[in-house]
Amino acid sequence: MKKKKFLVLFLMAGLTVALTFSSAIAEEFSVLGRPLHLFGYATQEMSFGVKDSYDTEKGLNSALMNLFLEGDYEITKDLKFYSSVMLTVDWIYQLKHSDSSWNDKLFSKSKNNLNVDGKYWQVLKEARLTWTPGDFMFRVGKQIVSWGELLGFRIMDQINPLDQRRGFLDVEFETTIIPIWLFRADYYPKIKSSWLQDLGFEFVWNPNVDFIPNQDIMAGNADGGIWAPNVRLPGAHLATAYGNISTPKRWEEGNEFGFRVKANMLGAMTTFNFFYGRDNSAVTKLIPPFMTPAPPDIFASDGKVLLHPIQEGKYPLLKYVGATFAKELTPLRASFLGDVAPTIYWEALYAFDRTFTLTNTLSPFPDQRFGKSDDFRTGIELGWKVRIPPLNARTYFNITGEFFYQRIMDYPSIEEIAGLKKNNYQTFLSINTSYFHNKLTPSFTWIHDINTNSNYFIPKLVWDLDYHWHFTLGGQVFSGSKPGKGLTLFDNKNQIYFKVAYKWG
Amino acid sequence: MKKVKIFVVCFWVLFLTLSAMLPILWAAEEYKVTAQDLEQYKKIVDDPRPYLKELTYKKILPPDVYAKLTFDVEEMKVQWAEVVGFRAPDEVGKIAPEIKPGTYSYKDKAKYPGLKELMIPLHYEEFFKPGGPPFVGCFPEIKVVPTRQYYLALPIAKATKENIGRTKLDDKGLIKEETYMAGVPFPKPEGKFKANQVIYNLLKRYIGHENQYFTATTRGFTRNLRIDQDMVNEACWIRFKGRVFMEPYGWYDERAKSVGEEFSFKFFYLSPRDMFGNVMTSMKYLDPDKYDQMLLYISALRRVRLMSATDIQDSIGGADVIYADSFIYSQKLSSTIFPYRSEVIAEREYLVPFAILDGSGYMSSKGMELHDYEWERRPMYVVKMTQLDKNFVYSYRILYIDKETFYPLLILNYDQKGRLYRSGLVISAYFPEMGMFNYTSDVMMYDHLDMHSSFSRTFVIPAPWVGRKDINMRGLVVKGK
Repeated sequence: MKKKKFLVLFLMAGLTVALTFSSAIAEEFSVLGRPLHLFGYATQEMSFGVKDSYDTEKGLNSALMNLFLEGDYEITKDLKFYSSVMLTVDWIYQLKHSDSSWNDKLFSKSKNNLNVDGKYWQVLKEARLTWTPGDFMFRVGKQIVSWGELLGFRIMDQINPLDQRRGFLDVEFETTIIPIWLFRADYYPKIKSSWLQDLGFEFVWNPNVDFIPNQDIMAGNADGGIWAPNVRLPGAHLATAYGNISTPKRWEEGNEFGFRVKANMLGAMTTFNFFYGRDNSAVTKLIPPFMTPAPPDIFASDGKVLLHPIQEGKYPLLKYVGATFAKELTPLRASFLGDVAPTIYWEALYAFDRTFTLTNTLSPFPDQRFGKSDDFRTGIELGWKVRIPPLNARTYFNITGEFFYQRIMDYPSIEEIAGLKKNNYQTFLSINTSYFHNKLTPSFTWIHDINTNSNYFIPKLVWDLDYHWHFTLGGQVFSGSKPGKGLTLFDNKNQIYFKVAYKWG
Repeated sequence: MKKVKIFVVCFWVLFLTLSAMLPILWAAEEYKVTAQDLEQYKKIVDDPRPYLKELTYKKILPPDVYAKLTFDVEEMKVQWAEVVGFRAPDEVGKIAPEIKPGTYSYKDKAKYPGLKELMIPLHYEEFFKPGGPPFVGCFPEIKVVPTRQYYLALPIAKATKENIGRTKLDDKGLIKEETYMAGVPFPKPEGKFKANQVIYNLLKRYIGHENQYFTATTRGFTRNLRIDQDMVNEACWIRFKGRVFMEPYGWYDERAKSVGEEFSFKFFYLSPRDMFGNVMTSMKYLDPDKYDQMLLYISALRRVRLMSATDIQDSIGGADVIYADSFIYSQKLSSTIFPYRSEVIAEREYLVPFAILDGSGYMSSKGMELHDYEWERRPMYVVKMTQLDKNFVYSYRILYIDKETFYPLLILNYDQKGRLYRSGLVISAYFPEMGMFNYTSDVMMYDHLDMHSSFSRTFVIPAPWVGRKDINMRGLVVKGK
């Protein structure tokens, strides 16, 4: 049965590739006299771990394939339909089917979660109808609504959930943001004033047609696969991340409302945002018996006990107001740096009564409860293009630096919130340039968690042979001085990877 | 359950309303020519069809729009000759008079040494030869035709005459914007700032009618002539000041006047896949010291993002142009932001592929050669613009500008080491019944250092239906993915 399923998958993938590589469907079509655009890509990525420990594998770690198709049909000048579908398969489960190390570490048991993304909402990415009469825009269907200004940290952008089950490695937009069923209405009134160039109002309603939350990295090799974090437990490993998480009932609960005012005034882009809905990530707490071994896998391959946490949780209310601001700082342009002025992007959010998991650190057993606090998050980004002739005589360097701050307004005095202090700080830095007429693009990204003094580095080299073929060689390195804290949870995941992508249309 | 019913009812109401409105929406359809339409009349390579004989404005435009934009040809000829003070056929024929209309092969170089004197050196040395790496756009043979008189439309001639002598430059050679109203500001350039006057004529030229819609197909080529870019885009354009063809005349609106908006365009990509759904708007201001504003809808982020308007020197996505090279040359003259010292270094006739009349010129897939373009003697200004800021990407630019119409043909941009860095050749279509060069054109852009080149074909239609709604935030969101 399994072989049959594998064969069907393989044939599907092969057929899709064969069909889409032919030029026939790479063309713009005319359907009923109206333009239909079809595009897509196929990617195959291989990643190789450099460490050998219980939570990872030395050598081949993943063989992730993505087949993506999208189409945009302009029914009339004011009405269009866009849809995209995707098939994601990690062939590692087939390639390591009989690998003893892979099986002993329980990675094979994560197959149901990570081998094939076969749920309807994973295959059907977007399907939306857009109607744009006059100064209005109405959009209904499975879609993405993206708020915020920062490229690195996600502060205001809370409407769509994320899929991060496969970590941070070379994420594609289409594999990371999960489109959900939404209704959106925009209104752009005509503006006559000289100081206000543009104004827009945006309303978003999520009727909770289907509750799709964040797909976070899961703890335990049997659930989280190769990306399970290295949670340090004395004499034990986490095996799964079982939890009884209650979700809002479709249609009846979990309705979400978002409203945004967008203005282009005095040369700056400004927005004011309001949101009432559900947190896309669950809050969970351990409940008795807290953690337990479960047959048949009592002991791990290294002799440690395998534990299964018992948790319950929910998706709590999320209510916030916020603002964003973007402005080019033209007085800061420096001729010797290439004369491009830096652009500043800022966003801030104040969430009321957010729910957190509080852990009593004085208790001899896991004593957790849910507690509430207001939550303030802000971030600032400086985007700057500079010319550094000794390193690149022809092309500029793009430098993006970000600083993120989060404050838990009513932080408990005795208890702790997992992974958060009262004040939390992170930074993000990304640098890239290109050589050989934009063919070779090296980039370097560094995320630093100041509270835990941990780091995440991503060096990457992309070779764009042409508009069809793209090759990526990259790596990722985690480091930190406090084991088990912050980004060091992934310090065994250091990897190098290679990806080939073919894009058409 | 009640909410389910309400949602389903709302969905069907919306759906049925849209369905009911479809016929109305069809009826109100904006007319335009897409890249796919253009491809039916002329393929990007190996297609010698004279497509402009078939794809005519008379067929495309509504009759009332067409009637408003066409004028009496003979009157235009007379009026324009009065505006500039000459007719091109009377001004040429003095250099290498032995070169008569006919077809000349690159093999004839020795037989007709006058060709060397008559042609622009770059053309003669680098592109008058059989096609082949590293660049597209060689002419193995050229078809020389008699020089024509090119005239501009009656409204341009009228506005130019009405405002003759009124447009002033300050003591730095920069235009006093309040003195310019419409038309060509300096139809007979002269005096200390003659070069600046020529450049202002170019900057203020009517690149087509005031509201227009573009479609363009661009192919990029490596030094081995392998295609590495294949791009389709469309664009909208509005000119805000000096409007003479389309209502409202003069200023587009009060806001344009109070803010000092010159023109704005929206540029959106239809392919390749990574670019599809990206939309850019740019607002250009009259104030020489005020930067443009650029907004970009980034399809990969589903967001509108404010972009750096000072980022004018970096290549755009691997293309052979920088933002300051838009429309071959669009950099404002300023005394503070990358100031130039400009001079007319030559004023003479050249044999050039100046205009497209019937569209029979084409690129061949073999060697990416250009065939069937018509070359004619044109009186030209050669303007050298020396950059005074040593940090600018170019140390100087040389512009070849037609003396009769002030339309640019060729630009040569030299880096700070004095090497030819980028060049661009625009062969624009001319519409005699309208007296108009717009950006319907075949454009060759070259990066001489990276040995990369591109060929682009653009088709433009006058489009009174283009408005602010198309170039503002709404326009970005609606056109974005």
